[in-house]
Amino acid sequence: MPRLPLGSWAESTVTFLRDHFSGLFDVISSIVSGMYDALDSVLTGPQPLLLAGILAVIALWLRGPVAAVLAFAGFALIDSIQQWHQAMDTLSLVLVATVVTLVVALPLGVWAARNRTVSAVLRPVLDLMQTMPAFVYLIPGIFFFGVGVVPGVIACIVFALAPGVRMTELGIRQVDDELVEAAEAFGTGPGKTLLRVQLPLALPTIMAGVNQVIMLGLSMVVVAGMVGSGGLGQSVFTAISQVDVGLGFEGGVSVVILAMYLDRMTGALGGRVTAVGRRAAAALPRRAGTRVLAYRPQASVAVVGVVVLGLVAGGMSVFAGGTADAQVSGKDNVGKGRTVNMGYIPWDEGVASTFLWQEVLKERGFKPNVTQYDVGALYTGMSTGKIDFETDSWLPTTHASYWAKYRNSLEDLGSWYGPTSLELSVPSYVKGVNSLADLKGRGGEFKGRIIGIEPGAGEMKLLNDKVLSAYGLKGEYKVVAGSTATMLAQLDRSIKAKEPVVVTLWSPHWAYDTYDLKKLADPQHAWGSGDGVHTLAHKGFASQEPQVAKWLKSFHLTEKQLTSLESAVQKAGQGHEQQGVHAWLQEHPGIVDTLAPVGS
Amino acid sequence: MYGTGVTWATVRFATGNGGQRRLEQRAIHPRGMRIALPATREVYVSRLQVEHLYKVFGPRPEEAVQRLEAGADKDELRAGGETAAVIDASFEVAEGEIFVVMGLSGSGKSTLLRTLNGLLPPTAGAVHYDGRDLTELDAPELRHVRAHGISMVFQHFALFPHRTVVDNAAYGLEVQGVPKPEREERATEALRLTGLEGWENSWPDELSGGMQQRVGLARALATDADVLLMDEAFSALDPLIRREMQEQLLELQRTLRKTIVFITHDPHEAVRLGDRIAVMRDGRIVQNGTVEDLLLRPADDYVASFMADVDRSAVLEGHHDEAEVTARA
Repeated sequence: MPRLPLGSWAESTVTFLRDHFSGLFDVISSIVSGMYDALDSVLTGPQPLLLAGILAVIALWLRGPVAAVLAFAGFALIDSIQQWHQAMDTLSLVLVATVVTLVVALPLGVWAARNRTVSAVLRPVLDLMQTMPAFVYLIPGIFFFGVGVVPGVIACIVFALAPGVRMTELGIRQVDDELVEAAEAFGTGPGKTLLRVQLPLALPTIMAGVNQVIMLGLSMVVVAGMVGSGGLGQSVFTAISQVDVGLGFEGGVSVVILAMYLDRMTGALGGRVTAVGRRAAAALPRRAGTRVLAYRPQASVAVVGVVVLGLVAGGMSVFAGGTADAQVSGKDNVGKGRTVNMGYIPWDEGVASTFLWQEVLKERGFKPNVTQYDVGALYTGMSTGKIDFETDSWLPTTHASYWAKYRNSLEDLGSWYGPTSLELSVPSYVKGVNSLADLKGRGGEFKGRIIGIEPGAGEMKLLNDKVLSAYGLKGEYKVVAGSTATMLAQLDRSIKAKEPVVVTLWSPHWAYDTYDLKKLADPQHAWGSGDGVHTLAHKGFASQEPQVAKWLKSFHLTEKQLTSLESAVQKAGQGHEQQGVHAWLQEHPGIVDTLAPVGS
Repeated sequence: MYGTGVTWATVRFATGNGGQRRLEQRAIHPRGMRIALPATREVYVSRLQVEHLYKVFGPRPEEAVQRLEAGADKDELRAGGETAAVIDASFEVAEGEIFVVMGLSGSGKSTLLRTLNGLLPPTAGAVHYDGRDLTELDAPELRHVRAHGISMVFQHFALFPHRTVVDNAAYGLEVQGVPKPEREERATEALRLTGLEGWENSWPDELSGGMQQRVGLARALATDADVLLMDEAFSALDPLIRREMQEQLLELQRTLRKTIVFITHDPHEAVRLGDRIAVMRDGRIVQNGTVEDLLLRPADDYVASFMADVDRSAVLEGHHDEAEVTARA
């Protein structure tokens, strides 16, 4: 069977699109991010509880008092678990994605309902969009749209388009043929038939489609979080990649509350805004005892409620205005308010060093933005210049494949920590296994599995290509690929059950502090020499910000400094990394001047 | 403009005028225009003329028509995947007449009706209305004819469930672009004519079947179209209501004098309503004539068996009078 170069065709298509349509993508990108920014500033502007009140009034209008109380309670819960801002980011993202999806899906659905060829062509395309794993198009999407909100919105759109189109098509096809014929028999043209008869009658089905679009959009927020879209997706992504069950649950619950609110409201909206829905609601018998619960304010009353709360909210945010940012004075103000975008992957030394540099740059008058990414998104984003630098590239081995791919658009600002080491480790209660050679012949004990990490990681490649064969373990052991998080979860589970387990690890890692582990010796040096932790920036960053590049090039931490910084960040907890860094900086006076010397 | 290319024809046809039936010699333009004879008076001429109309569904309909013209029958066509719904139908409908097309289901009568207002374009043949061949009109012209000249009543009422009764009745006027106050007034008047005064703001699903069809009738009457196409309009109603509706239609017709093409499978209904009746079988019109013709001179056994259980004595004494008597009883 000859090898069909399908992949390279796809790749050259992506390259072609990037080279020839970048203007178009820029326009789309700025429209989408403009919509997002506008909506997000409206939603994150007011006091959380006031906005919760506004959302509750909408619930009162659409579904009555019980829904209003539950909605308020749900949003208050989101606020009290400190996910409010993220939840509003996610809400903005989902609403923008929904609007764009509907703008595309409704005409397509109408077209498909009127034309069998269009319907037949669309069907496989929609199937493809809905089932193609998101990362397959998301990483190329970063070439076109950069990292951040836009690819997140695009992911939601691609995933949610199918139900929007299908339900519109279905709704229109479901309209009784005799009614369409009646409209035609009275001389109605095709366009007016659509507006007067087909769309109004299809509206309940179309609203069910809108509901599906929102729900599927929400289900993509975690994926969106991996490409830097922020919001609850990032909370969940961060939590799962650090096995932080608590934060993961809080983020997850917030997603669920948003989902239930949007689901119930759009469901009820179908009944309130469509003639058929109003007709059905009016036909329901009312019992005296349920009158209070069945109360629905008039639309005008609801609008007044929303407007009043909105004005209060607006007024409060005006009076609460004024910046809390401390001014950086004199010669320390190197940045003069310029923005620096930093990205990081959720590895502990990366988190610690990134937030350290955020503090340092703030002290030097910069406006540093910090965003967490999936590793593929991080490198792609940096190569396009959307991310200025990151501090956690393990070279020459672990991140070798990314470096090889993007080296022409990146520059290496040097290693700030090292050497590191890669290794397989077992819990210390596993007796008689101290070296890689000892694993041979004991595959049954370990169920023939070595618990691996992300399949793209350099360590995995090295393990499969060199280490296993060097010790004759090939065939006896299978490397189970997953993620760092799943590896750590499996390690934790096995240790709790006192089962033998062998995992792929590296040093430095907090797992060595948390668990009693043995690094397996590597007498044949199959792992090679250790990586250094490098700082990488996009090409041209050094000439753009020469002072920052100079600081980064001379950045170095000792093992003692790094581990104490990591533990300070860990102690401060998820979402409070900055406080951790603050605390650490206070214990290490003068370090900012060492890291970022001024005026020398 | 009536130059040398136009031929004048003398045709025989009937006009229904209450109980009186006359056969007259009249000169008409072949395109069915209302014209004044050079001699003296304006005359009634046919409002609708159908000439050699064919409707074939299938992959190659035109070819199928040629084969039908060459003598092929319906079953031969079916083997080739073509369904001949209407075969070589020719008839005229006079102004103010109720013309009934009767046949079993599948005989092609509903298809025939839909070619009369262009909802289905005929495969071959011509439909003359108001001096024009509808088959040659473009889509906007055809819509104009449907909006102003030919309206329709449907078997299952086809009321718009998202509109109130008065909005349903006003639908045709809305299409015509009549301003809202006027169209509501005219729709209310049409509802009054059909006996639905006071139901204007109800919803269609609150009405019984008979009342719903009155809305359907009001919708068709409100547009002031002079031709009404009624597709099994009363077949979905139970017998008592059906009878009531038939009588109401006849009563309305006495004052409104519309030109009506009425489709039915019920010979009693055909006899009760029709000034003339065309019997269809397998896509062909097997006989076209008055009730007397059908009863006394059936073209074949099929027509005879169709008419078998119609009460001859009552009909032949003048069926319209009889109907009126029943209506008042």
